[in-house]
Amino acid sequence: MAFAWKASGLTYNRYLAVAARVVRRSLKEGERLKAERRGEMELKFAKWENGKQGENKSLAQANASSMAEGAGHGQGQ
Amino acid sequence: MLSRAVRPAFNAAAVVSARPIAADAAGYATLREIEGRLKSIRNIEKITKTMKIVASTKLNRAQRAMVDSRSYGETSNTVFEKAETKPIESEDKKTLIIVCSSDKGLCGGIHSGLSRATRRMLEKKPNSDLVVLGEKSKAQLGRSSGKNIQLSFAGVGKDVPTFADAQAIADQISLLPTDYADVQILYNKFINATSYEATPIEAFSEEAIRESPNFAAFEIDDEVLANLREYALANSLYWALAEGHACEQSARRNAMDNASKNAGDMINRFQILYNRTRQAVITGELVEIITGASASEG
Repeated sequence: MAFAWKASGLTYNRYLAVAARVVRRSLKEGERLKAERRGEMELKFAKWENGKQGENKSLAQANASSMAEGAGHGQGQ
Repeated sequence: MLSRAVRPAFNAAAVVSARPIAADAAGYATLREIEGRLKSIRNIEKITKTMKIVASTKLNRAQRAMVDSRSYGETSNTVFEKAETKPIESEDKKTLIIVCSSDKGLCGGIHSGLSRATRRMLEKKPNSDLVVLGEKSKAQLGRSSGKNIQLSFAGVGKDVPTFADAQAIADQISLLPTDYADVQILYNKFINATSYEATPIEAFSEEAIRESPNFAAFEIDDEVLANLREYALANSLYWALAEGHACEQSARRNAMDNASKNAGDMINRFQILYNRTRQAVITGELVEIITGASASEG
């Protein structure tokens, strides 16, 4: 069983996040604002090597780009 | 002014008055000092009180999120309980420890409690890898065991953690190159409003899930297994983050409550000291006036 989203390099979590975003966006105005606040994510992360912290990067961008790398044929978003 | 005017008379007349004058001069200085300290302690009390109120309001929301996320995480883990999944015991594969702390301090010892628990786990398995969420534990663990850290996340704990946070973290963790035998998510378990305990949640690797004794009861395709694993990791992370957040808020509330209480005690003490010193100064001045008057009369 091959999934279209898997073939386009998304992880299951990413797939869920995208689906959840679509649902949130299709809500009514007032509810939508409340719901969209639940979908926000502003984390930063850094890779460590040999006890040294690397550069601080935005997690959202890094995730998107790493998934784009793994994509077979374009992003399925 | 007055004391200077009568001083010649004093020096000539009474030797005893030398002590009151010295105390008097010091009394003026300390009186002002005490006033200054009182003022600053009052300001600190105001700040800690405000922070306590803020923490209490946030605590309510955080606790609600915690209760929700707990049932969520527990439901997600029921699968593994029923399947009797156990972590694989193998020597050559590493363990990953995910530490869920946050960015903010001023909340007592919950971050250092987590760091201590992590160090204890590292003693048992020295080649485990670490993923640290939150600046506080990162600073503490970075000093003692920086070599083990693979990833660190910042920006945790500004608000009630969202599932989107957990998902993004889980994604980045699953991108790590090493294949881990088991994943331990270390978080502060909320026991009651005043006590927490650093507790690990297991998140299993695919292999561990596949080898669990009751695995056949669930008809899971191999292809979907990776999804289940990623999703379960995100669920557990969300649970750990939300519960950790609630613990942090409640710890902050308690810490600020204690700080306000201590400031109140100090204010009382200084107020009494201040009044006493003020009275002593007034008495000193009166003595000066009276002795001065009686000396000039005689």
